[in-house]
Amino acid sequence: MAKAGGITNAVNVGIAVQADWENREFISHISLNVRRLFEFLVQFEATTRSKLGTLNEKLDLLERRLEMLEVQVGTATANPSLFST
Amino acid sequence: MAVPVEEAIAALSTFSLEDEQPEVQGPAVMVSAERAATESPIEYSDVAAYRLSLSEDTKALNQLNTLIQEGKEMASILYSYRSCVKALPQLPESMKHSQADLYLETYQVLDLEMSRLREIQRWQSSASAKLAADMQRFSRPERRINGPTVTHLWSMLKLLDVLVQLDHLKNAKASIPNDFSWYKRTFTQVSAQWQDTDTMREELDDLQIFLSTRWAILLNLHVEMFRVNNVEDILQVLIVFIVESLELDFALLFPERHILLRVLPVLVVLATTSEKDTEALYKRVKLIRLINIFKNDPVIPAFPDLYLSPAAILKELSVYFQKFSSQTRLLTLPAPHELPPREALEYQRQYLIVNHIGSLRAEHDDFTIRFASSMNQLLLLRSNDGADTEWCREVKGNMYDMVVEGFQLLSRWTARIWEQCAWKFSRPWKDAAESQETSGSYSDYEKVVRFNYSAEERKALVELVSYIKSVGLMLQRCDTLVADALWETIHAEVQDFVQNTLATMLRTTFRKKKDLSRILSDMRTLSADWMANTKPENELQSSQHGGDDSRSNFFYPRAVAPTASQVHCLQFLIYEVVSGGNLRRPGGLFGNNGSEIHVNDLKQLETFFYKLSFFLHILDYTATIGTLTDLGFLWFREFYLESSRVIQFPIECSLPWMLIDHILDSQNSGLLESVLLPFDIYNDSAQQALVVLKQRFLYDEIEAEVDHGFDIFVSRLSETIFTYYKSWAASELLDPSFLFALDNAERCSIQPVRFTALFKMTKVQLLGRTINLRSLIAQRMNKLFRENLEFLFDRFESQDLCAIVELEKLIDVLKHAHELLSQELSIDSFSLMLNEMQENISLVSFSSRLATQIWSEMQSDFLPNFILCNTTQRFVRSSKVPPTQKPSVPSAKPSFYCGTQDLNAAHQSFARLHSGFFGIPHVFAVVKLLGSRSLPWLIRALLDHISDKITTLEPMISGLQEALPKSIGLLSFDGGVTGCMRLIREQLNWGTKAELKSEVLRGIKEIGSVIYLMGLLDTVLREVDTKRFMQTAPWLGLIPGADGQIVNAQDGDSPLINLFKSASSAIVSNPSCPNPSAFYTMSKQAEAADLLYKANMNGGSVLEYTLAFTSAALDKYCSKWSAPPKTGFIDITTSKDFYRIYGGLQIGYLEEITNPQSAHHDVLGDSIAWGGCTIVYLLGQELHFELFDFSYQVLNVAEVEALSASHAHRSAQFVQGWEALLEAMKKARRLNNHVFSMLKARCPLEDKTACAIKQSGAPLHRVRFDNTVSAFETLPQKGTVS
Repeated sequence: MAKAGGITNAVNVGIAVQADWENREFISHISLNVRRLFEFLVQFEATTRSKLGTLNEKLDLLERRLEMLEVQVGTATANPSLFST
Repeated sequence: MAVPVEEAIAALSTFSLEDEQPEVQGPAVMVSAERAATESPIEYSDVAAYRLSLSEDTKALNQLNTLIQEGKEMASILYSYRSCVKALPQLPESMKHSQADLYLETYQVLDLEMSRLREIQRWQSSASAKLAADMQRFSRPERRINGPTVTHLWSMLKLLDVLVQLDHLKNAKASIPNDFSWYKRTFTQVSAQWQDTDTMREELDDLQIFLSTRWAILLNLHVEMFRVNNVEDILQVLIVFIVESLELDFALLFPERHILLRVLPVLVVLATTSEKDTEALYKRVKLIRLINIFKNDPVIPAFPDLYLSPAAILKELSVYFQKFSSQTRLLTLPAPHELPPREALEYQRQYLIVNHIGSLRAEHDDFTIRFASSMNQLLLLRSNDGADTEWCREVKGNMYDMVVEGFQLLSRWTARIWEQCAWKFSRPWKDAAESQETSGSYSDYEKVVRFNYSAEERKALVELVSYIKSVGLMLQRCDTLVADALWETIHAEVQDFVQNTLATMLRTTFRKKKDLSRILSDMRTLSADWMANTKPENELQSSQHGGDDSRSNFFYPRAVAPTASQVHCLQFLIYEVVSGGNLRRPGGLFGNNGSEIHVNDLKQLETFFYKLSFFLHILDYTATIGTLTDLGFLWFREFYLESSRVIQFPIECSLPWMLIDHILDSQNSGLLESVLLPFDIYNDSAQQALVVLKQRFLYDEIEAEVDHGFDIFVSRLSETIFTYYKSWAASELLDPSFLFALDNAERCSIQPVRFTALFKMTKVQLLGRTINLRSLIAQRMNKLFRENLEFLFDRFESQDLCAIVELEKLIDVLKHAHELLSQELSIDSFSLMLNEMQENISLVSFSSRLATQIWSEMQSDFLPNFILCNTTQRFVRSSKVPPTQKPSVPSAKPSFYCGTQDLNAAHQSFARLHSGFFGIPHVFAVVKLLGSRSLPWLIRALLDHISDKITTLEPMISGLQEALPKSIGLLSFDGGVTGCMRLIREQLNWGTKAELKSEVLRGIKEIGSVIYLMGLLDTVLREVDTKRFMQTAPWLGLIPGADGQIVNAQDGDSPLINLFKSASSAIVSNPSCPNPSAFYTMSKQAEAADLLYKANMNGGSVLEYTLAFTSAALDKYCSKWSAPPKTGFIDITTSKDFYRIYGGLQIGYLEEITNPQSAHHDVLGDSIAWGGCTIVYLLGQELHFELFDFSYQVLNVAEVEALSASHAHRSAQFVQGWEALLEAMKKARRLNNHVFSMLKARCPLEDKTACAIKQSGAPLHRVRFDNTVSAFETLPQKGTVS
């Protein structure tokens, strides 16, 4: 059992451990908040994307309707004689 | 801190980030470059700082970890190895001369593959050597170094596992030795010209031995281990460790559990190589404990499609390890395929998820509720600043417990899926009774996967997958929310243990034991956070070294978790305390026997020990969730691919696809929302292929399957949706009274299904792509609706005109379905699609596909072949006319009619009522379908048909006129009916022109049909107009006046205009109105609407117009058909006017239809009267006709005769034989009178033309009176619009 030497300089190690806890508190605090920031960005992107998707859908519908109307107008203007009464 | 980070981040939450996306997919695969805490990210380099003299151990540990990493990569290579030989080309005869070149090329290709195998061989020998050396070094009783630590033990086990797996894989992969023998053959060919090939040859031989020997790696390891005979101790320790961990089953997640299960049998074999050792082993671990473990898990998953069986391994290894073969109790364990049926059934119950799904469901529901509630508590806490510390700790502790529970649940669930798979692989599908010979044609993979899961099992699997994914998603969502709470709780746990529990132990039980208490105080030194309890000043503890303090320490929470090294050291020290650092110490790890430590303390140490190992999993929050929810293995089938000798299995064999397929097939509304979850399996597999197996081709295969599968999925889903909405619409449109009378009405109602979640999915995550499912579905729907319309028109075109009612009904159903679906999805408007499919988009064309079809149908079938029944107001198909040949009616899926079969039958029964005739309902359908746009076109076409017919009739009638005898007198009453008839027959034999007779009759009949049809149309239009009038009149301020006139109810503007005017003036007068011009526009638009509606008000009568038109058309022939008498008075004998021809035709035709042998029966119907009488009437010959018509004369004669007969003899002999004809004549007269009276009512012609006699006596022919507004003047000239 003697070979499990144990901590040779317990006081110093204790002081270092204490300092380590404090440093790491700062680090985890920062890293957690960076992660939160990142997560916000990801979510923001996702939301924006789906909002754009909705917009796109509406535009699509309008576009198709417009195309249809254009064709109809085209058929009318191709035969101007019909309207010259 | 310069920047208030906390506030800045909190400010972000003020953004609204809601996008209404349902959560029906699993968590997205995260890219993480971070090394997980479980394998210390800095390779334990900070362990040295704790001065525990662990440098040797750390070094060895890191070495093993590197080897594990390498070994896993080797295993990936081996697992994804595919035979190259199959791909090698064969040389055709003509190119035999370049055989040598081919050998060289082949050699070069194979050499690359073989070099990998060679590397594996080299690696395994070095790894075995290192592992053996490591074990020996750390198990010497007289060792001078600290260790092995618990982490070290784990690393040994993991490396051993990698070696076992590699060996197992090498045994299972048959293509490797196969490829190798090819390689060797080409080598002998190629190397013939080389020099110095001896070393290469030796290497080759080595490799061959390695590849062809089963369990070569284990044998090698065994040799390495027992070079020096002292590894037994550590083997025993490892076995004890495994057995205790497995029996406790507390801190193990499933990957670790599987590692332990896989390694245990091998370790047992290795440890029982001598009598003595065996006894020692069984002294520490009772044999029954081992057997129980082996029995508990007869199959252990190893690779996605490979399983291990402890019993089989033990049996197989006993051949190679002679000493072990005496362990009969272990060797008699049955392998999975040898299980007796009853036991197999028992295991089946245990392994199949379907038997547990009820409790799994309950677990899931319970967990999600509790998790959400503790999540809410946590959020409440965050929004609450000055919260009580006690409550604060409770909430966070609760959260921590929930996360731990969540991880354990996920681990258990995923393990269940792994184990079910392994079980299924071990017990392939056997359906011998059903198909003896066909089962041979199924591949092995189909037997273990495709047919091996019943529908119930698939359903259960889908459910479990969705539980795993949804809980995983839920946990992952709140990652950053709970992180600090978790850290704080872990910190508190550790501090509580080292500051309070250890303090108590040091004061009491360990006071006397110097060595042990020193270890305990080391534990405090290296992990205690003393400063944390000084922060709250009011609760400041007096002593910084609170060890001697009698009260328990209060420490301030700090959101920092211990590092991996701290956990590592703490575990080491605890292990050191309980084992005394002696490997030989008998008993278990925390077994009580012979220990000097108090039972309670031991219990506390044990609990903390296992808690420590779980902390690391919690710290690796996302990574752990990733591992636990990874279901990618369900796709992989490398092993079966090789044994089946195919390149890839069809998609039907793929388990993820089978699940999707099952969901779509089952029509289970509960499962439907999980339909995207199996795609997460593909995501996971792709991730594994890229990150773990690192094989591009696997990814490509997965991608191809996903592309294919997703396409099928979208199209099938759209069809399901379409069918559902169609049936919904159809069932709503069914008549309620019909449903009420129906016995099985529930078959016509549909189960509601929710597609809402799927409709909202605008971002489906698939292999890193984002797919807008919503727009895909909308696209498909647009297409399906168009296809359906197309089909309906096709169908109508292949049927006769009577099918128009059915068409209208079906289009109604479709339109209603469109309406229902539009509430959820934005698709093209129905009228647009209808116009498009009717080819009716152009502004200047008024015919449409449907109108054209109706017209051509009328022209070619309806007018010639249908006969009118005046009483029923219906046209029916003449029985004498053979039905025209049509293209066969196209058939389609039930969804293109009304959805389901039952609904189709129900609607069909309605449609059938209208399929045999053409009448008012059909005209309604025509009016509705054609609308105001194409209906005028059709009317015009019909009118033109009349004038065309008249034109074609003209020469024939002239022909008949010529055939009339010069003079025909009035029939004399002398001969009676018989005499009259004889006379008529003589006079009206038409001579050579007899064949024109039927032509003319048919023409007149068609004209009559059109006129009657117009009458029907008139009725219908009037009804429609009246309805519209009722709707608009109140707004336009109109009321019906006398004589069908419409008068304004009040002077001035209509109510509609007034309303808008007053509204806009009221708004404009309000000074706060921002934009008055908009309201002016609105009131102007109201005026425009008023005008438009008023202009549409009075449609006029179609029938009257038709008659006017016909009359105009007849004008041209007036001179021929209605010649003015030369004398100026009625010409009786020589007249060849139309009425005379018609009278002649009528009597001939009446005679014919009364003749039972006649073929003309039922050919003409009542419309002949309509046509003939109309022409007669319009020519102004009605009175002439009534006077001189032959049949009328005959009737008169018959009447007189009957009268005289009754006077004289009371015998009706004279008229005998003529009753039928007379009856027909009477009927014809009645009908003619009906037509004439109708014509008089609708087209009062007398007012317009008449014959007058001047006072001088000279007649005036066709005097015109313009006293009524005649339609003549308003007739459009034909040809203006064409």
